[in-house]
Amino acid sequence: MREEEKEYLIDFDPGKCTQCHGCEIACKTWRDLPYGIQYRRVLNLWQGNYPEAKSASLSMACLHCADPACANACPEAAISKRETDGLVLVNETLCSGCGICAEACPLDVPQFSEEGIMEKCDLCCERNPAETPPPCIDTCPTEALVYVEVSSAGKKSAEQKIMRLLGRR
Amino acid sequence: MDYQTAKRVAETKGERCIPTVCGMCGPGGPGGGCGIYAFVKNGRFTKVAGMDECPVNRGAVCAKGHAAPQWVYSADRLTHPLKRVGKKGEGKFEKTSWEEAIGHIAEVLTRQKETFGPESLAMLSPAKRSYSEYLHRFLTAHGSPNYGHSGICYMQREFAFCYTVGDFPRPDYGRSDLIIYWGRQPIYSGPVARPARAFMAAKQRNAKIIAIKPSVEPDVGLADIWVPVRPGTDAALALAMLNVVIEEELVDHGFVEKWCYGFKRLKSHVKRYDPAWAETVSGVPASQIEEVARLYATTARASIDLGNGVEHTPSASDAIRAVAALVAITGHLDRPGGNVFSMPTQAAPKDILLKDRYRPELITKLVGPEFPLQFQPFLEGPTSAYYRILESVLTEKPYPVRAVIAPGTQASVSTRGTKTVLAALQKLDFFVVVDVARTADMPYADVVIPVATSYELDHPFQMVPGWLMATNRVIEPIASPKSIFEFFLDLANAMGYGDDFWGGDIKQAMDDQLEPLGMDMAELRRRSLGVAYPPVPPVYEKFEAVFGRRSQCLDHHPYLPQGKVALYSTAFEKAGYSPLPEWREPPESLSGTPGLAEKYPLILSDYHTSKNFSASWQRNVPHLREIQPDPVLHIHPETAAVRRIDKNDWVRVESPHGWMKVRAELYPGIRPDTVMILHGWWQGCRQLGRGDYPLSDGGANVNNMYSVDPQKAYDPLVTAMTSQTLVQVEKWEAG
Repeated sequence: MREEEKEYLIDFDPGKCTQCHGCEIACKTWRDLPYGIQYRRVLNLWQGNYPEAKSASLSMACLHCADPACANACPEAAISKRETDGLVLVNETLCSGCGICAEACPLDVPQFSEEGIMEKCDLCCERNPAETPPPCIDTCPTEALVYVEVSSAGKKSAEQKIMRLLGRR
Repeated sequence: MDYQTAKRVAETKGERCIPTVCGMCGPGGPGGGCGIYAFVKNGRFTKVAGMDECPVNRGAVCAKGHAAPQWVYSADRLTHPLKRVGKKGEGKFEKTSWEEAIGHIAEVLTRQKETFGPESLAMLSPAKRSYSEYLHRFLTAHGSPNYGHSGICYMQREFAFCYTVGDFPRPDYGRSDLIIYWGRQPIYSGPVARPARAFMAAKQRNAKIIAIKPSVEPDVGLADIWVPVRPGTDAALALAMLNVVIEEELVDHGFVEKWCYGFKRLKSHVKRYDPAWAETVSGVPASQIEEVARLYATTARASIDLGNGVEHTPSASDAIRAVAALVAITGHLDRPGGNVFSMPTQAAPKDILLKDRYRPELITKLVGPEFPLQFQPFLEGPTSAYYRILESVLTEKPYPVRAVIAPGTQASVSTRGTKTVLAALQKLDFFVVVDVARTADMPYADVVIPVATSYELDHPFQMVPGWLMATNRVIEPIASPKSIFEFFLDLANAMGYGDDFWGGDIKQAMDDQLEPLGMDMAELRRRSLGVAYPPVPPVYEKFEAVFGRRSQCLDHHPYLPQGKVALYSTAFEKAGYSPLPEWREPPESLSGTPGLAEKYPLILSDYHTSKNFSASWQRNVPHLREIQPDPVLHIHPETAAVRRIDKNDWVRVESPHGWMKVRAELYPGIRPDTVMILHGWWQGCRQLGRGDYPLSDGGANVNNMYSVDPQKAYDPLVTAMTSQTLVQVEKWEAG
């Protein structure tokens, strides 16, 4: 664990999402993802029963968890949490495509390419997200997605928020 | 992102970035007016970012906008002009050249004009597009009034509001403490444009939001109150709200006395429409009708955003007139935070409709007037109802249309009455399809004209409120190099109408239209990010000016004969229509045809907009189709359970008029007595292994499900066609 280290996150505000799916498709085109691979997904979540039924929205991608279950589960040590910024990244050469990470991740984040290699959101780190916002953030009409720096504790509470939205825990 | 960032991002990736206008919510010609940066790598259009500097989308782009490259490069793009060689409907064509195709169309239309008169030509209109005026202009030059307006969207509201309050007053979103979104989808209708932004801004400042519609969509998810109305019963609801505010004296009497005509007659008329009655029709509890009526009437700054959802029913104009009356008598008209009249536009491009040629002898030739002849031409010139043009081919009443041009519209999946439409296309003498990609109707075409997408063109200019921008060419045309504009210019030239069409010169056409704005296309293009116009500061209570507005009819009669809000319309009374809004049942409904409901116990209606498709286009775009791979029927889980329908089961949906095979989506946020589906399903998506669906029975085309009975399916004033029926839903048993 990297206690007291800086963490980064694309934070999601459910009160601002209109479920337009712009972020999801921006991610697909800017990252050139084929059919079936989604780094970011927009979900419609039902709450309550008719006539009080409501729907809530969730735009979700890898949270780069403070204590990533995927990395802990990976038998090849192909997934690691980067020292400098806490990003959870995949070493393609080590990944065997066994899928254990997908079972471990509570948010179904890991995706597998045609070659069987795990891939997922990397916060568009190549682009320097602090300077040039990732396409999902750039395209959001309501600032429901924001790039933020948080502490480990902040990251954990962000993880809990998403789990609550999903009705888990 | 801003232009500097876009250029920097492009440079680091060895790409080019071109500022232009998005062309996705209006295939064949943009409609939305969102500014984008299009990125090109090695001559290939790869991706899109939103233009921060554009006042419309302010840097955001929706799912459709991002998927543009897949649409541009889709295998369904039309590459060559085609001439039919097989039987109609068979879809056998041979390639021809642009010049030969134009020559052939010109020859047929000229011959038909000589034999049957110019009115034998009709044009089917898409939703309002940047080229819409060119269609009107061509028809007028030819001598035909038969512009086939769809009767699906917008004109119903514009018409009924104009004849009740003189203008279509929009919500003063930014100042409202309460907004009623009524039959309205503020998000999907333009997720990154102003109405969605205004919705979110209202939400953020804790304005109360009420959503009136049969099912929960994301806007309802964010609303404070959901009023789950049965499809097609908005007039009953609005009349009952009038009843409540009048009975409970929640009326702005000062405004009513000074500015309304016919209040006493309205008062006695709506006595019969009490909330208890409305509950039996609309399914909305009487207590909720009272609550919403009171909240609206007693909130000083309250507005109503009336949407397309109220427009497809035999009482569409009644619903709109009743809402207009409600806005007026509660004192919410043209006041801060209420529903406000439009402000005069600062500047506009040249109006290219040939209005001086609108004469009685042209108007009376309308084959199926969209509005009664006394009210023609309305705002967009003379219009026939789209469906009635096709119907005339079969009935030959009052005469058969002989040739139809479909520029960017698909009759068999856009208008109601699919079986009639297909029979008409089979019988029609001459049918021309003009589009960027394969359409549902194409197998019936005599000539198919492929046109370029706006990403491949350097015209037109786009003017939306607050922004003027040149379309810039992103890539060289990959298929046809010519635009839909150039099709009409070339055809006009070939038919001897060149003098009305800038001699066939597209540059001259654009420059001429831009002239009142003080620039030409070259000058506009030099402004890389277009021209932004500051918003006009609002002026309220423009009653005298607006209530005195004159119509575009040939006699230029005022919309409001008394110069006051027409709670009681003597204009409609004189023309033989009801002077007061009434309730009229849909052709099939739970309250109107209870006998039929025994066999068909559920109401079916359809959604007009979606988050990922434009009308009946773009189902072939993998990124968009991935969001919604199959045609789904929204059905309440309990309604499904009693039918042993599980989630994602294929189901058979049957109405008295046709049947569909679609998938069930168990949908907790829909009335249990109602099922709904998105309209426009026909097209397959190769990449996702989905083939085309049948257009008629057994497919997923909801238009096939409704009544087109001339006596029952229409609003008498605005030719709105019904989109409600009764159905039974059963699990699809294989084999």
